[in-house]
Amino acid sequence: MAGFLPSCVSDDGSESMTGSKFDMVWTAKDTPPPARYGNVLITRLTKKSTHPSVAFSHWLHRRNYTCRVCHFELGFAYKTNASGISEEKNRRGEFCGACHNDRIAFSVLSEDNCRKCHSGSLGHTDERFAEMSGFPKTLYGDQINWVKALRKGLIQPKQSLLSENFEQIPFDKNLRLEPEWRGVKTRAFFPHLKHTEWLDCADCHPDIFNIQKKGTKHFLMNYINEGKFCGVCHLTVAFPIQDCRRCHPDLE
Amino acid sequence: MKLKAVLVVTILLLFTSVGFATNFGTKKRMPRPEEFGNVVINNYSEKNNIAPVVFKHWIHRAKYTCRVCHVDVGFAMEPGGSDIKEADNTNGLYCGSCHNGKEAFGPTSREKVVSEVKNCDRCHSYGKDVKGQKNFNEQLKDFPPSRFGNRIDWMKAEEKGLIKLKDQVEGLSIKRQAIAAPKDFDIKSTILGMPDIIFSHKIHAEINGCELCHPEVFSAKKGYTKYNMQDIFAGKYCGACHAKVAFPFYDCQLCHLKEVY
Repeated sequence: MAGFLPSCVSDDGSESMTGSKFDMVWTAKDTPPPARYGNVLITRLTKKSTHPSVAFSHWLHRRNYTCRVCHFELGFAYKTNASGISEEKNRRGEFCGACHNDRIAFSVLSEDNCRKCHSGSLGHTDERFAEMSGFPKTLYGDQINWVKALRKGLIQPKQSLLSENFEQIPFDKNLRLEPEWRGVKTRAFFPHLKHTEWLDCADCHPDIFNIQKKGTKHFLMNYINEGKFCGVCHLTVAFPIQDCRRCHPDLE
Repeated sequence: MKLKAVLVVTILLLFTSVGFATNFGTKKRMPRPEEFGNVVINNYSEKNNIAPVVFKHWIHRAKYTCRVCHVDVGFAMEPGGSDIKEADNTNGLYCGSCHNGKEAFGPTSREKVVSEVKNCDRCHSYGKDVKGQKNFNEQLKDFPPSRFGNRIDWMKAEEKGLIKLKDQVEGLSIKRQAIAAPKDFDIKSTILGMPDIIFSHKIHAEINGCELCHPEVFSAKKGYTKYNMQDIFAGKYCGACHAKVAFPFYDCQLCHLKEVY
């Protein structure tokens, strides 16, 4: 996917969209092969020890749980190695240990299970990727259209671990975001509902996006490419930004 | 002269580039359950070569209503806002109004009647591992869980009788006849599709009295104080408590609970 150059820009020779700035905005980072998209190697404590690092696969987990369960209720950070997970905390029922306790999933307490996570290899879940061969397809990332899979009922991810009758506020407001640069004609389309099916409002507000109309400063494509704003999720786990038209449906 | 001007400009430029926030557009670290509501008070501590005070709301709110400290004692709602000095405490103000050896441990206590033990470390504990201090995980192990904050449903804990909150402290509080709490009311949402808020005066008045919110945080006249979610996120209005100590604003549906038609 290197050197990727979508036809997002009109050719009116606008100065603001040439040279290095142009490259920075429209050169998307390479993504791993589909079965490894969203896989994370957690090395915070293991790199100093003899234990193999923990390989975590997002696609394995997001079939059964919405993003909010781990990234909010269980307090997992949005960046690798930033949560401060430790064996002690897992054993006490925090982080991974909140589910991996034999009641919901295999337990962190049993020594037979160590290798299931401490595999040291990003590819250790590769074989299980075929389990999702019947899911709706996309072109990029893990090549699975999770939104469609959810709508079709192929997956029934749990909405909340801690609140039994949890129902997200069905906030259904679509936003159309006007471009700020000369020469760019496309508008970004943001549907709230497709996000609230997975996320709590406060997963994004107010830290990532403040809620003031036109109040989110620096909301530009190059910042998204650096992992800010939409890029918090849409570079590594949610469909990657190579999939231009899913946010910019008016692209020619 | 010219050189001076250039210097000023470069210094200004340096300052602006340093002051430019780079952490925008990303998720902030969420406080851990045992950290939520903890406050570091460092008005004079470090200047006097002693560790700053770590005040833990969870220890205190399991015993007293908010009102006791924030109305009767008069603690500010911001860390450092009360400008507490050691002399204040020894004179029976602020922390000293309870931490006097009667209501709670004082600056010193006697062990086995003979030896005097200094208790400084128990509060001036920033960066220290103080032995014998209450452990969050052990103390609150069997408390009803909630989604965020301390991950404790404090109201349910009180209902279940796990905690009994003291609302009057002898020698400090002056009991007045209670004013009946006004009725619950809805706060209309200004955004289409966002559920209205049902606000319960009763629930709030039980632990806060009237004085904690009125008239400073909210005017007493309904509809007079104009505020929005942005203000609450910034720690104003509801955010005065619900951003730091009471269940945090992440848990939208605890307030936005009226059905949308």
